[in-house]
Amino acid sequence: MSAPYVSPQDLGTIWPALAIAIASLLALLADLFLPSGSARRGIAVAIGIIGLLAGGILTAQLYGHPFIAFNGAYSVGGFSVVFSEIAILGAILTLALGLGIGRDDQVAGTTALLLWSTVGAILMAGANNLMMVFLGLELLSLGLYCLCGISARRTSREAAMKYLILSSMASGFLLYGMALLFGSNGSVQFSDLVVAPVNAMLLLGAGLFLVGIAFKLSLVPFHLWTPDVYEGAPLAVTAYMSVVTKAGTLAVLARFAYAALPVQAATEILIPIWTLAAISMIVGNLGALAQTDMKRLLAYSGIAQVGYIVAAFAGQSALGLRYAIFYLAAYTFMNLGAFAVIAILSNSDGIISIGQLAGLAQRRPWLAGALAFFMVGLAGLPPTAGFTGKILILASTVGAGYAWLAGILILGTCISAYVYFKIVRIMFVRIDEAHVKPLAIVHNPLPWISVAVCAIAVFALGILPITPSDVLPLVR
Amino acid sequence: MIVTALVLGPILIGLALYAIPKSADALARGIGIVVAALCAIAVILVPGAGDASVHWLARPFDAAFHFGYGPFSYWIVLLLALVTLSALTALRVPRSRDFTAQMLILLGAMDGVFLAKDLLLFALFWDLMLLPVFLMLIGWGTPAAGHGTAAWRYLIYNLAGGLCLLLATAGFGVVHGTTDVIGNPNSGVAIGEVWGGWIFAGFAFAFLVKTPVFPFHTWMPDTYAELPPPAVAVVSAVQSKAGLYGFIAIGLLFLGAQMHDAQVLMFVLGIAGLLYGAFVALTQTDVKKIVAYSSLSHLGLILIAIFSFDPTALKGALVYIVAHGLFSGALFLSLGYLEAREETRSLSRLGGLGANNPRLAGALVIAALAALGLPGLAGFAGELLIITGLYHAGFLIPSILALVPIVVAAAYMLRLFQTAMNGPQRLDLPQRKDLTWIEGLALVPLVAGLVLLGVDPGPLFTASGTETVSVSALR
Repeated sequence: MSAPYVSPQDLGTIWPALAIAIASLLALLADLFLPSGSARRGIAVAIGIIGLLAGGILTAQLYGHPFIAFNGAYSVGGFSVVFSEIAILGAILTLALGLGIGRDDQVAGTTALLLWSTVGAILMAGANNLMMVFLGLELLSLGLYCLCGISARRTSREAAMKYLILSSMASGFLLYGMALLFGSNGSVQFSDLVVAPVNAMLLLGAGLFLVGIAFKLSLVPFHLWTPDVYEGAPLAVTAYMSVVTKAGTLAVLARFAYAALPVQAATEILIPIWTLAAISMIVGNLGALAQTDMKRLLAYSGIAQVGYIVAAFAGQSALGLRYAIFYLAAYTFMNLGAFAVIAILSNSDGIISIGQLAGLAQRRPWLAGALAFFMVGLAGLPPTAGFTGKILILASTVGAGYAWLAGILILGTCISAYVYFKIVRIMFVRIDEAHVKPLAIVHNPLPWISVAVCAIAVFALGILPITPSDVLPLVR
Repeated sequence: MIVTALVLGPILIGLALYAIPKSADALARGIGIVVAALCAIAVILVPGAGDASVHWLARPFDAAFHFGYGPFSYWIVLLLALVTLSALTALRVPRSRDFTAQMLILLGAMDGVFLAKDLLLFALFWDLMLLPVFLMLIGWGTPAAGHGTAAWRYLIYNLAGGLCLLLATAGFGVVHGTTDVIGNPNSGVAIGEVWGGWIFAGFAFAFLVKTPVFPFHTWMPDTYAELPPPAVAVVSAVQSKAGLYGFIAIGLLFLGAQMHDAQVLMFVLGIAGLLYGAFVALTQTDVKKIVAYSSLSHLGLILIAIFSFDPTALKGALVYIVAHGLFSGALFLSLGYLEAREETRSLSRLGGLGANNPRLAGALVIAALAALGLPGLAGFAGELLIITGLYHAGFLIPSILALVPIVVAAAYMLRLFQTAMNGPQRLDLPQRKDLTWIEGLALVPLVAGLVLLGVDPGPLFTASGTETVSVSALR
């Protein structure tokens, strides 16, 4: 054990997280001095986005400079940088697409909570031992409990309650698993776990840990909270949860799968999680078939999409990790793009049924085209990043010897085509002009910019799939 | 650059059409016609093997943006440009701007399928091709049919095929290391035993669905009936060749052993489709469905020709691929004229149109005669070569069975023509003018092609791109 000394270099690794945390305090502070009105909203969102951008830039500078800080608790470099960037990106787009969350007088507080949650996701991406994982996860979740219930609707409070209780239970599983893992070898470090003796306690601990992770990722059969919470939460919070929570948890899962399991037992321990991924692809898409509310539909589709990403980890190949990250980035843009379109079309709660989209192509051809493009991407058709990501994941799973998983991925995608093209169809079928429902359109440029950025990114990543080369050495 | 432009040009121009005002229908249609004509001219005037390969992926396998002519694709691409030109010239469709845009995107995507020299690129355009057809089905299908069933069947069925193709491509890439292989005889490395079967199964499923071959054809009659005539002309003339082209360009070159293993199965499916399509066509009353089922029958014949691995039959397959494209395009356009005039597709309501519409009757009869294999028209040349080839290769019974639908074709094509054009005039039908000169002119490229190739199919075997078929897999 080295001395509990924090070097300047250690501090350097958490500057991105600190920058975002400071921005969140600034947002709260600035709010005290502003008169009520829409200026408060604008300033809070601006501070939030600037803080996140600063955090993103600081994070980017860590890329390619692997370093393990705080006595092995926290590591930075390629792997964690990419996941952190995706979380930050998700947070920026979330703020932009909804122009903050809640009423004008709530926005500063919600922005601060959102930033703190993002800090949690960043810590999860860099977590190198069990304590850090838990710290990051709780930081991420605590903010979200409040954010889910911020709207005055009853369903919003119900969603917050549901999320709080079920998520706490999952945290309990996770913590119990961690305790057993610690008990099995006397260390919380992932690096010690790799060489730990394989015994019943370790297996049980790893199993409970994975249950907790599967819950947070909403893999089937731990997914039942997702549609209700997504439906109840304000739109921007739903968008945030569908991306940032998943990015943070996927980072933990990746590190656990790649660099925290005894080599001789890793394959067996992880088979259940690949199986859950396979079931999620099918059940998530089947569940989405029946949905009429856009948010519930995207909740189910998210369950399946995470299944695709987890499938890329199968076999723990280096390429699989890169492609999982690529697909996660693609999913982030496609999903948040879709949410941004919904945000433009709906009130702040984002309640929009699929039926309300009827005839959208006649009224708003550009918005309809953009939403259709994101749906095509989520369905995995060209010319989008969804297509390229899918071929990469297929190749890596087949290459890693998990051809059955690739087969199920294809089956799931096939089912999902009906889900996504149902939306395309209802927008593009001609209906009587008289029956086209007028939708309130948000005229603030920020959501529109989000849509454009997402669409361009989805197309560009589809044509030029850039995957981070510097991921694997940092995991171990 | 010219081959790449052939693919990307129509797609980009198609997208750009959405930027012009909605009301500028005539302008949009004009642009569409010019683009299709330029494509045809570019194919004819600028021969050449293709463009340089632009690196795309290095991992998990090499892939490239690489366009060029593969086996047979020169003729199919020319056919595509001509049919699109004819289709856009022939008929006006409501909301022409959007429709023309979709047609151009379809043109570019199909060019991409036939010109891709990289398997992954092939798979990309294969899937991309679904989108414009789906949008045309929901945007221009019959509202009474609920805007839906045909579009859903088309999409789900073909996407299932497309995804299997994608999985097979991924498998191929992982095993072979590169997908930049189509039309490159040097890269014709056979894929090993274990993986080869699965990879072939994935490709074959996609190809059989897209063609379609019995029993994967159930999406086809509805799709053909629902699509607006210009679109169905292009889809039936060219998109149905994508699967057959796949068997030739990918199957024969890389999966020869698996192709040989599948021979019996494919013969059974092909002959089943050949007979089933012909006899079902006899009973249909929707004029478009008659032609749809006749396509099923004709495509089954081409499938058998490919799987006979006989050089003569393969030549016949090429001739018949082009001939079928020409006559099914001409048939669907003629039926489009008919539907536009009489507002019905039902044979039980049509009758006696020939008296007032001699030119329409003339157009229909030429296309119908080519479809039933009249000597002197291209269909006959293809059928003759295929059946001779089958016979020479020792497939006596298949070659006899292949004769049956040719006889039946005469029955259903003449039934179609006679019921619609001959007999007493139906007074309850609207009386409209005969074909205008521009409607007639639109059919000229197709009919001229049918006559020229019927008299001398020789040019098909000499021009660029076909020699690569003289391959290892053939015996």
